[in-house]
Amino acid sequence: MKRIPQPPVNPAMRALERHDFWPGFIVVLIGGVLAFGGARHLTGVDTVDGSTAWEIQLVKAFSSGGLQYASQLAPPSPPKLEDPAAEAEALDRWAKQQANATPPKWKVRVDTDAKTPCPT
Amino acid sequence: MECPVPNCQQREPTALGRKLSRLRPWLQTGFLGIWLAPVGRWLHGIPGCVFHCYSCPLSAFACPVGVAANYAALLPVVGEVPYLLMGLLLLVGAVSGSLVCGWACPFGFLQDLLGKISPRKISLPGWVGYTRYVVLVGLVLLLPMVLGFKGIPFERQAVSICRLCPAGALEAGVPYSVQSVLAGKGWVMSWFKTGILLSFIAAALFIHRPWCRIFCPLGGFLSLFNRFSLFHLRFNPKECVECNLCRSRCSMGVKVDQAVNVSGCIRCLECTTCGAIEPCFALPKKDSQQAPENPA
Repeated sequence: MKRIPQPPVNPAMRALERHDFWPGFIVVLIGGVLAFGGARHLTGVDTVDGSTAWEIQLVKAFSSGGLQYASQLAPPSPPKLEDPAAEAEALDRWAKQQANATPPKWKVRVDTDAKTPCPT
Repeated sequence: MECPVPNCQQREPTALGRKLSRLRPWLQTGFLGIWLAPVGRWLHGIPGCVFHCYSCPLSAFACPVGVAANYAALLPVVGEVPYLLMGLLLLVGAVSGSLVCGWACPFGFLQDLLGKISPRKISLPGWVGYTRYVVLVGLVLLLPMVLGFKGIPFERQAVSICRLCPAGALEAGVPYSVQSVLAGKGWVMSWFKTGILLSFIAAALFIHRPWCRIFCPLGGFLSLFNRFSLFHLRFNPKECVECNLCRSRCSMGVKVDQAVNVSGCIRCLECTTCGAIEPCFALPKKDSQQAPENPA
């Protein structure tokens, strides 16, 4: 094996780099508590069926395109009519309904059944 | 160039070092069975601890970087905190530091394999490792959050870590594009992302683990734990004969002769072949049992 050149070292001057147990252990404990709590954590995000999403469902929604944003929802399309005479009146009624429609209370919600293979 | 160290060529690799060196590719292959589990998507609610795209048709866990970026984009809308992701990364980091980078990460393994094709390697200066933190803070956390404040969901953000990631291009973009080509619909991955993938493959031939060393935000985060993780590398001055083997074995460019538990280390344990660097696990000890810092 080819050795790379390096300046001479002095082993006596070098730190042993021994790690203390407790700092690592405390972080392990914090991580364990967070992971356990996260697995049982109900988020503030609703699901499409009206219940509250678990954190695991929210994470899964990231990879399956399961997040629905209220601001991104397309308005319902205007009605298709067979009678052209009633078209203007029906469209007017539809426009009024849209104007009076209240925005959804949720900002974002989780569709647990989404299966978009690659959201981005 | 003549090496100034007199014992440079005299020391042979230790048995433990040789054993670990032989074992590592097999363990990396074995871990592929976990990250590419055919159980498919049902574990996508749990973030993994390695860099592996969750859009890969065979991925078992969620990509921790993608999950972090999604949470950052969601923060202005609902203000959720990723407890599970933070907990798992703290747990893995505090136990093993960046050991998973060297022994379990599928993307790191791929780069190891690509690196074997060409023996010629370009050495990088140590400071390039800090760009990993620029990627972590800028691209994974701040940018999605800023665009999220502007009301743009992560999936529609034109610039994001997922749109630039070579792992996503390889593990998700290529399979879906091949599937699309076979169905007669053409190459679906953008040419920009395809270019990123090709550039990355070319770089991996001549730079050892370019993604891990320059860009990987997950590796950068996990390596922060190297200085106090329970599993660590210890220097034994009694075994050191100044043979230069430890630094010569390090393909990540770490100055092992000065310090080994540093942020540039992926804990491949190749440096343990010299015998003076020993893998060990921190255990609680009474004060009377502790050895002095450097008896020599």
